[in-house]
Amino acid sequence: MTAELRTPRDRDAREKPLIEAREISLHVPLVKPGERNLLASPGRLIRDLYLSRSTRVNATLIDGISFSLARGERLGLIGSNGAGKSTLLRVLAGIYQPSSGTLAVQGSAKGLFDISLGMRAEATGLENIYLRGLQMGLGLKRIRTLIPAVMAFSELGEDIEKQLNTYSSGMRLRLAIAISTMVEPDILLLDEWIGAGDAAFNEKVRKRMMELVETSRGLVLATHNTALMKSLCTHGMVLDKGRTTFLGPVDEALKFYAERTAEGEPGLRKP
Amino acid sequence: MTLSLFRFLLRYRQTALGPLWLLIGPALFIALLGSLYAQIGSTTSAQFVPFLAIGLITWNLLSGFTTQAATVFQRDRASLLQGDMTLGRIAMIDVNTNILMFLHQALIIAAVFLIYRVPLGPYALVSLLGLAIVIINGVWVTMLLGILGARFRDLSEILQAIMRIAFLATPIIWMPGEDGRGGVMGHFLAFNPFYHFLEIVRAPLLGTAIAPSTWAVVLVLSACNCLASWFVTRRYGRYVPLWI
Repeated sequence: MTAELRTPRDRDAREKPLIEAREISLHVPLVKPGERNLLASPGRLIRDLYLSRSTRVNATLIDGISFSLARGERLGLIGSNGAGKSTLLRVLAGIYQPSSGTLAVQGSAKGLFDISLGMRAEATGLENIYLRGLQMGLGLKRIRTLIPAVMAFSELGEDIEKQLNTYSSGMRLRLAIAISTMVEPDILLLDEWIGAGDAAFNEKVRKRMMELVETSRGLVLATHNTALMKSLCTHGMVLDKGRTTFLGPVDEALKFYAERTAEGEPGLRKP
Repeated sequence: MTLSLFRFLLRYRQTALGPLWLLIGPALFIALLGSLYAQIGSTTSAQFVPFLAIGLITWNLLSGFTTQAATVFQRDRASLLQGDMTLGRIAMIDVNTNILMFLHQALIIAAVFLIYRVPLGPYALVSLLGLAIVIINGVWVTMLLGILGARFRDLSEILQAIMRIAFLATPIIWMPGEDGRGGVMGHFLAFNPFYHFLEIVRAPLLGTAIAPSTWAVVLVLSACNCLASWFVTRRYGRYVPLWI
């Protein structure tokens, strides 16, 4: 594990960093609900297509962030709500493409976002495992080998053959966590720590998550939980309005963040 | 492809007859309308029913591509936002599902052809070429309308309204006449893109000639579709996760 987070310029040439971001920004044209309506604003379409840059208001979600993540490093993102933590994670996962700057990611960067999204209520638990697996691009054979582990983890037993809409919310959550964590990505992107209802299962989830963290080559975690960040991460980045206000070792980052929050500087939105 | 099949079967999970419903609906439609029109119209049912069967089922494919396209990315919002699938893959899966439905319903065409003993020559193979053109256009149109539909939610409603009218304006439940010019509807036919795409699949199977103008329209529209789809995907594709 390397001791310090290097800036893109003085990184050592021997090993390519897992993630290398240079000045990445994400600008999004603001769309108000009314403008989405073609009939309410027919001119909007024409303007969007031909005069796009002249009339639209752009919102800046990510503003010139640079960092590099080497093998074994774990970066924690901290900042108030709307600071751009989750957005940055989605950019790293390749869901949003940065408007400017370069981003190079080595290996698969997968996130655990909104884990219970996309489960099909009319399908059985087992079918949901297949569906999600196929969506993730796994082959049928690979999924078959993963199923025993998912079933053991979710503790559903015979119920795995039942339709999802007969499940209790706890069962659903257990299955969702089991499915979402069935593949280990090279780079793990976490938007808050995943927790489940009852204490016994929560412990199991914690163990599985730690396993994922240990096996992954790199981790980027977005959180509000400073204690968790301190225990897991090697480095910290403080975000504010899409900008990096601090980047460095985790202790210093947390200290910086605590000071900024306490001061309640105008530049920082209150949490 | 496996995923398309999986989703296709899931859709009919809670019905007793499952995907058979895809056959029963059109089959009833063709049987009833076929016998009715054969009595009141000037054509015999041996002529009209195969025409109706191919027309209706190819229409289902065409309108499936068009109407489904506008909501394709909204429906797969979860897998897009979880980073599981790319736009291209989501579009392809939707196209595959439509093709599966078509292949399934094509059984009706096969049955009708057997019943009426429609003769098939080597010329009928041109229909496969026509089908390939329709499917390639389906891929492009799904990307194009999918991205536009993610931005403008009204598109889905607009398309549904258009397709309902287009179904009546296209010679499916009526024949364009012996000379192929369609009588009063002749002028409309020339400007009806669906007619031309339908014709390149249907005409070879029925042994009627395809007008050179139809090929021209199909090729020009395909080129426009390809260019528009390429442009919109390149320019606006990256905004789709933000719009949905």
